[in-house]
Amino acid sequence: MAQLDTGGGAQGGKGKKRAKKASTAIDMTPMVDLAFLLLTFFVLTSTFSKPKVLRMIFPEKIDKNDPAMKAPEVKNGLTILLTGENKIYYYKGSLRPETELIETDYTKDGIRKVLVESNLDLLTQLKGFQEELNKIDEKDTAKTNAINAQVTQAQKDSKLVVLLKHDKKATYGNVIDIMDEFLIAQIAKYFKVDDDMAEMEKKLIADYQSRG
Amino acid sequence: MPKVKMPKSSPSLDMTPMVDLAFLLVTFFMLTSSFKAPEPVMVDPPASTTEAEIPKQVFLVAIDPSGRVFVDITNNAVKTQVLTKLLATKKLGLEGQDLNKLVGAGPLGMSIKQFPEYAALESSEREAFNQSVRGIPYDTTSDVAKIKASELYLWAYHARLEAHNDFNAREAEAKKRNLDFDKSQYMQFAIKADFDVPYTLVEKVINVFRQAQVKQFQMITDLEDTPEI
Repeated sequence: MAQLDTGGGAQGGKGKKRAKKASTAIDMTPMVDLAFLLLTFFVLTSTFSKPKVLRMIFPEKIDKNDPAMKAPEVKNGLTILLTGENKIYYYKGSLRPETELIETDYTKDGIRKVLVESNLDLLTQLKGFQEELNKIDEKDTAKTNAINAQVTQAQKDSKLVVLLKHDKKATYGNVIDIMDEFLIAQIAKYFKVDDDMAEMEKKLIADYQSRG
Repeated sequence: MPKVKMPKSSPSLDMTPMVDLAFLLVTFFMLTSSFKAPEPVMVDPPASTTEAEIPKQVFLVAIDPSGRVFVDITNNAVKTQVLTKLLATKKLGLEGQDLNKLVGAGPLGMSIKQFPEYAALESSEREAFNQSVRGIPYDTTSDVAKIKASELYLWAYHARLEAHNDFNAREAEAKKRNLDFDKSQYMQFAIKADFDVPYTLVEKVINVFRQAQVKQFQMITDLEDTPEI
């Protein structure tokens, strides 16, 4: 075991008799045992990764009875309706009685493809900016800032507006998944609509599901 | 042929370097590890690709699969103040030791009236108690007056107020001592809800907080890889 050896005690011989030196070696086995026990404990209990967070901002509530507050007309809109059983329905443009819903899901080829295709304009622009950023020197702050300003402007000018609605059957996991998809597809303008879906949208879903 | 004699080596070997290393690792893990806070409810959050980490000072709202709401404040000074204010609204009061016990008891999911009862419990009895509580009461209607009378609103309101006071006090203290002050240490509101909780329920809880002028929420998620698009 680990021990300190300081040359041992006096060994027989001639000469004056010295006082017997006590050995300074201590048995360190228990201490080492304890050290390893603690080591194992801390290795097994420590958590390195802190939980991650997804930020959501909820603006002030709008008083619906206030005549000055009109719902803005959304022209290039994509409305996503979340419902139970991990189903997603969406439609483009504004809601009309003849609107056809399209069903999709949470997979890579589902809603992500729809979002990426709808947002292709902005995505290509952003990709171009990123390439420019990669080319220039990192220390060139003036140029970097200029490009970042262009990025902000492009996001501001983005025509696509995504609206997210849910009904009583949609789960929290569904909403977080969709929010995450918005981040992945780098959608610049998306809104979580406060209340449940409109009656017409509920009816459209019911119709779609009854058709099978 | 004479036998080759192997030199006899002593079976004990010098373990000093190994022990040194062991102690080094022990020290490292002891200093870096932080313990998981006790959680009265099992919540399995959904995953997202964001890499932002949870802020240090949070007002944590946990919503379990059955829809019960538990809250916790990571800053104990703020938590003490908030609990005192909440108890005062029901004309209750707790003395030093009991109040400290309640502050140290982790997330709370009971109505204010049950605080003294919970503070008196031993830590081993708390788990059973938390199984039986019904979460912090909140109003599920959209009636503003009713929401403002609910206990969850009182929590949100007082926490926001006390966090602000605490932030100002710490900033003043740092200024007095000529120290740097990290402005990002402001308390934020985090929501940890189970994957399967209906979103309508989470929205109702969020609406209570919105009435208390809380607009920004950090949704706690597990990490997942960012896909290529």
